[in-house]
Amino acid sequence: MADVLPGGEPTKTTYYGRPLLKRPHWDRTVTIYLFLGGIMGGSAILTLLADGEAAGERRLARNGKYASFLLSVVAPGILVTHLGRPERFHHMMRVVKVKSPMSLGVWGLIAFSTIAAPNAVAEAARNGHAPRWLSAVGPRWLNLPMALLGAFIMSYTGVLLSATAIPLWAKGKYHIPAMSVCSALAGACALHSLLLARSSAPETLTRLAKMGVFASLAEVVIVENFRHYAGEFGKPMFEGALGQRFRNLTLLAGSVAPLVLNGTSILKNRANQREHSVSRTLVSAALTLIGGYVLRETLIEAGKLSADDPTVSSRQPR
Amino acid sequence: MATGFFTDTTICIGCKACEVACKQWNELPSDGFEFSGDSYDNTGSLSGTTWRHVSFVEQLSPEPAGAEDRWLMMSDVCKHCTHAGCMEACPTGAIIRNEFNNVFVQPDICNGCGYCVVSCPFGVVDLIAKVNEPRHADYNDATLNQEREHTSQTALQGSGGVAAKCTLCYDRQKIGMVPACAKACPTESIQFGEIEELRERASKRVEALQERGLPAYLYGAGNEGSVGDLNAFFLLIDKPEAYNLPAEPVLPSTRQPAGYVSAALTAALLTLLGLAVFKGAK
Repeated sequence: MADVLPGGEPTKTTYYGRPLLKRPHWDRTVTIYLFLGGIMGGSAILTLLADGEAAGERRLARNGKYASFLLSVVAPGILVTHLGRPERFHHMMRVVKVKSPMSLGVWGLIAFSTIAAPNAVAEAARNGHAPRWLSAVGPRWLNLPMALLGAFIMSYTGVLLSATAIPLWAKGKYHIPAMSVCSALAGACALHSLLLARSSAPETLTRLAKMGVFASLAEVVIVENFRHYAGEFGKPMFEGALGQRFRNLTLLAGSVAPLVLNGTSILKNRANQREHSVSRTLVSAALTLIGGYVLRETLIEAGKLSADDPTVSSRQPR
Repeated sequence: MATGFFTDTTICIGCKACEVACKQWNELPSDGFEFSGDSYDNTGSLSGTTWRHVSFVEQLSPEPAGAEDRWLMMSDVCKHCTHAGCMEACPTGAIIRNEFNNVFVQPDICNGCGYCVVSCPFGVVDLIAKVNEPRHADYNDATLNQEREHTSQTALQGSGGVAAKCTLCYDRQKIGMVPACAKACPTESIQFGEIEELRERASKRVEALQERGLPAYLYGAGNEGSVGDLNAFFLLIDKPEAYNLPAEPVLPSTRQPAGYVSAALTAALLTLLGLAVFKGAK
């Protein structure tokens, strides 16, 4: 009843401290989907960048197309398993709802795989893994719509989280979509560095390292800005065991360490040492991928804690 | 026509007849018994299988037998919002607004994605556990199931794994009956009816209570917020938080434009940097 604690600090009225909101039911499958979906979108963007006349990154373009297609089959497949009634997954295709990021996301995924499939088949044909005439099904201009849809898929998951009542996610309406995009692109750069690490393509690896540096740098800036902006809403994400894990694995190991490692690679290459360090590339890429996964996991798990706290659920962020 | 509930908490006696009537009519399974120690509230909250929940707000002053001691009771229910977060979020179109302007989850359409659960600013709708066996022999009766499949939640009892919440007794309304909770309420704390008429009645009640010095107000009527008016609204005499209602509920979808713009700018910036990085190779 008392609105003031002995210390003079105002207390917040709650109903026996019981949660006001319902927890998200989402488990590891959703985390994995968010992670893989991001890399898928990032791969599509890298494909566009690599497959241009000017860039001439054949191997990266090839891997980008294969990864985009494979992930567009695997990621939604994993997503379906989280449904309460997986056999009804196709009910998502009854309607298109502009106001539902999940509905738009489903249609985005369908459109993406519709483009990624012929693109990958054509690439396989060009590499002699399929009949030659099939190379016609994936003209180069397909890379543009695939990259645009990829950018959408990197984006909508963050919007999906912030367009909920969960206070932490709601507070992150600017930050969570932006940090998801950065992490997705950093993850894609990491994956493709891993795939090309042993292929003696120092220039490609340097470019991926540069892209990775930009993405990780932006991610750190956005996350740190969110820490200050979110205030009490950010507690579940930045404090406690979850916050510590997030700081160690996403920020320090997953962003700062790769920044240093990639930065070193870039500087050494600039000093005309054409050799690239395979181990540095591998370590940096693996750390980035772990950090990206932990970012998604932290967002989901911290969302659950946020839902449990009635003091932040009452006045919901606009 | 729009129907709804007016729940006048000042005359609720905490009998939980509404909880029981709701469970019985809608054939909702037991949630088990857990002694909470929080006054007489062992239900805790609304859930996928509890569509009416009576909260007991004990307000005792530190001194014994304080004159200001009071015991507030409120029967909570789905608010059937004018702008419903759950309905906007639902990617299957399972959540609809029916002919009575009530928000209804079609159990045969929902695939249990769980997005409505996090999109409800009031923490109402929830997924129910997957049940493999029908609970009663009745559920094996194909004709009965078919009859009730679309207008009641009976169908979901045999399967589960979907979202569920108050239907405002869609099936009863269809045949001109009053929802089970309102019918069972012995003090008419829960009133069912046409929403305009309920609001008129409620404002008169507020005026009468205010004349008697009670800080009565309506929660969810004349609402300026993004969720709009609530088709199930409440007369309260303490702040919303005391009853575990949000003081400022926000319609979640209103945050989307900000999110898309922020993400698009970030993606565009990084892609431009990428163009610079990948320019002029071999």
